[in-house]
Amino acid sequence: MSKEKNNNSLPLPPTPSSSPQIPHLYIHIPFCKNKCPYCNFISFDNKEILLDQYVDSLVNEIKLQLTTNNLQLTTIYFGGGTPSLLEPKHIKSILAPCNLTLDPEISLETNPATANYEKLKAFRKLGVNRLSIGAQSFSNRHLKTLGRIHSAEDIYKTFEDARKAGFDNIGIDIMYSLPNQTLEEFKKDVEAVLKLDPEHISLYDLETERVPSYELLVPDNDTEANMFEYAIESFAKAGYKHYEISNFAKPGRECQHNIAYWLNKNYLGVGTGAHSHVDGKRWDNNGPVECDEKRETIFMGLRLLDGISKDKFKGFEKEVSELKGQGLLEETETNIRLTKKGLFLANLVFEKFV
Amino acid sequence: MDPKKIRNFCIVAHIDHGKSTLADRLLETTGTIDKRKMKDQVLDSMELERERGISIKAKAVRIDYNGYILNLIDTPGHVDFNYEVSRAMAACEGALLIVDASQGVEAQTIANAYLAIHNNLTIIPVLNKIDLPNSDIEKTKLELENALGIKGDECIICSAKEGIGAKEVLDAIIKKIPPPKGSSKKKLQALIFDSHYDTYRGVYSYIRIMNGKIRKDQKIMIMSTEGKFEAQQVGIFKPDFIETKELSAGEVGYLIAGAKEVSDAPVGDTITDAKNKAKEALSGYKEAKPMVFCGFYPVDGEDFEVLHEALEKLALNDAALFFEKETSGALGFGFRCGFLGLLHMEIIQERLEREFNVNLVATSPNVIYKVNKLNKESFFLDNPNQLPPPGEIESTEEPYVKISIFSPSEYVGPIMEIVQDKRGEFKNMEYLDPTRVVLTYEMPLQEIIIEFHDLLKSVTRGYASMDYEHLGYRVGDLVKMDLLLNQEPVDALSLIVPREKAYYIGKRLAEKLKKLIPRHQFEIPVQAAIGAKVIARETVRAIRKDVLAKCYGGDVSRKQKLLKKQKAGKKRMKRVGSVDVPQEAFMAVLRIGK
Repeated sequence: MSKEKNNNSLPLPPTPSSSPQIPHLYIHIPFCKNKCPYCNFISFDNKEILLDQYVDSLVNEIKLQLTTNNLQLTTIYFGGGTPSLLEPKHIKSILAPCNLTLDPEISLETNPATANYEKLKAFRKLGVNRLSIGAQSFSNRHLKTLGRIHSAEDIYKTFEDARKAGFDNIGIDIMYSLPNQTLEEFKKDVEAVLKLDPEHISLYDLETERVPSYELLVPDNDTEANMFEYAIESFAKAGYKHYEISNFAKPGRECQHNIAYWLNKNYLGVGTGAHSHVDGKRWDNNGPVECDEKRETIFMGLRLLDGISKDKFKGFEKEVSELKGQGLLEETETNIRLTKKGLFLANLVFEKFV
Repeated sequence: MDPKKIRNFCIVAHIDHGKSTLADRLLETTGTIDKRKMKDQVLDSMELERERGISIKAKAVRIDYNGYILNLIDTPGHVDFNYEVSRAMAACEGALLIVDASQGVEAQTIANAYLAIHNNLTIIPVLNKIDLPNSDIEKTKLELENALGIKGDECIICSAKEGIGAKEVLDAIIKKIPPPKGSSKKKLQALIFDSHYDTYRGVYSYIRIMNGKIRKDQKIMIMSTEGKFEAQQVGIFKPDFIETKELSAGEVGYLIAGAKEVSDAPVGDTITDAKNKAKEALSGYKEAKPMVFCGFYPVDGEDFEVLHEALEKLALNDAALFFEKETSGALGFGFRCGFLGLLHMEIIQERLEREFNVNLVATSPNVIYKVNKLNKESFFLDNPNQLPPPGEIESTEEPYVKISIFSPSEYVGPIMEIVQDKRGEFKNMEYLDPTRVVLTYEMPLQEIIIEFHDLLKSVTRGYASMDYEHLGYRVGDLVKMDLLLNQEPVDALSLIVPREKAYYIGKRLAEKLKKLIPRHQFEIPVQAAIGAKVIARETVRAIRKDVLAKCYGGDVSRKQKLLKKQKAGKKRMKRVGSVDVPQEAFMAVLRIGK
């Protein structure tokens, strides 16, 4: 979303040096109508009855964080689970204690057929201004294999409702390398998503970690590479900028919240499975998470196709020169970034920085 | 100690026929081990032994029962370790021959029984597992009678698991097994039948006193090496080591004499008194000769010394383990190691990795070949790369064995098929009873060590068992096959193969390697060649995509872990030229199938 941030006009309260500046808030909504077998995120099905109680706790957690941290939020991200299961009243109570800067990006992940026009309209009215729709595929056969409970028709309906409700910043998630998927089938998905003309597209290959039986059914490495390549070319032709390994956006419509992750900025996560990263420390609800700030900055930063500035690579000159030699990394005037080959073989690059 | 009150016996059986369980029951029945401390297979103390459910090393324990001392010497049950069985037998007067009444007589039942007869042991047949619904006592008795001439009424009926028959077994040991001969008044002769190395005390020699006495502070001599030591401690196995004042003729116990290496007091050797020497050493000991060889290389070259020390330590406890330094163009510095058989090799490999944390590459196993050169020189080789160029060779020879396969008769067809495929020559077929048959073949040992046992088990649904004995060398038309990765020959993958099977093996190996070698950033040709002639080719295509898609705030640590795992996986591989080769690729020949 293009943002003219008017920081000067914001009457920011003076902050003591001990309270860190956190401009990004992630809110985890761990509820789903139905769990997808491949999903790695924490979520529970058939527990929507707990939503009210859960939201109360979220609000308490945010208030608690506000006592020790300086949250002047430029982005909020409702992630899941399925945040579109929330009711407008929930969004209202969650946003109430948040200090927002002017014109913040407020994203909400939506599954097709979980929010109707009225609900979406209410969300929009409450300040949610970016939707991320988990379409995954436009083929009902593949949706079924993935264990999704919606149909292609539901995607079209939800997208249409969202536009009608006033959302002018919509992202669509699609997946590829699905069990028994052919390149031709995937091309149809690409065509379908382009026809909707969303502002943002996320493209993920199916993770087989949790469902080993998928492993035997997914396309081979060459087909997978062909799919990725086809998508990159098609999206570029349609005017999308490939700005992160898995993300494409119309000019100015990059997801600001996610960019904060890739630039390894400060962010706070609240809710069951949320992670936080503030001033070189990482934690989740289980406690501290091991964090090597330098390596993680590179590891995450190289996901951005522009790369990150050369000074972040101090101490890794050997790795950089080896990877340049293999044609996986390249230098611009200011940055180090993946080459096209490196984009397809990024794990070989990341391996050197974990 | 009055030798008349001593009985020394061992337990022999085909694998899984319940030897260790019976030993447990005997120890429990006699109160040798507190029921509280009892765990299954109490004598199998090595972690690996418990996991695999087999005994690897011989072990001993002293049982006090009705005024008698019964020394039980436990023995391994696998064909590879026949050698250890023979050592244990040399220290005994009798053997319990266990037969699983639900399985019947198997290959190693016969092999072990013959070994016992050869050692002049009194055999007590025990039919075990009679609690199993499919046990058939009468049929098993018939098989024993047909195969070994053992009469049915000699058999003790028992279920070691349920504790049935344990008392009868103990009474039979006292009644049937003769007491040890020997005399305490004669000059000291003690047989070392096993040993183990202890970091703090040095070598523990497990000994059977044949004549004379041994006590603490006594000056002793090892007869073959003439090495002199002072006995620091003698004692018995309860099964913990319990120090005693002395050990006298007929007794079984241990000795610590400050030997720093097992080779100072080799197993099978005779101990005598340093001043009052016995005239001659005890006979009957056969040196263990390694039959199967392979290369062991550390994945990380820096681990070479660790591997060296680990092999030295294992050799302290394993007289049959052979090793010497060798160098491979592909793998760097390592060792050529010799083993009794494939299982022995696998166990050593696993122990090196598990107990010493050495990350290993093992090359495919081979036998010792004999080469007769045109210039009339002959020599033996244990590494395919030592084979001279074809122009210098008059003939090559390889070791043959006589193999006996015991199986239900319905599998005779499939067995014949795989044996013929493995160059086996049919010799004989005999029925043990109407449903079970013994097939005898002569075949090259090399064919047996290359996945033969697995194949046999798979075509007979696990019912067949086998045993073999060596026949000596025979001439064969053998050639060296090289494998090339990315156009470079990899010496560690070279094999000696029969010419008639070279194309087939080359093709299957190239296919297998193609599957095992991960895709790299570049294309890798995999070729099998004889001399300059390429006989098979496959290609490992270049990898085109390796990238984690989703990675947001909450994914950072999980995705890092994934990548670390991937990285660690590569580290376990061996870099050969520019190609990362996984460890199992060097053993690919073991898995090329029929």
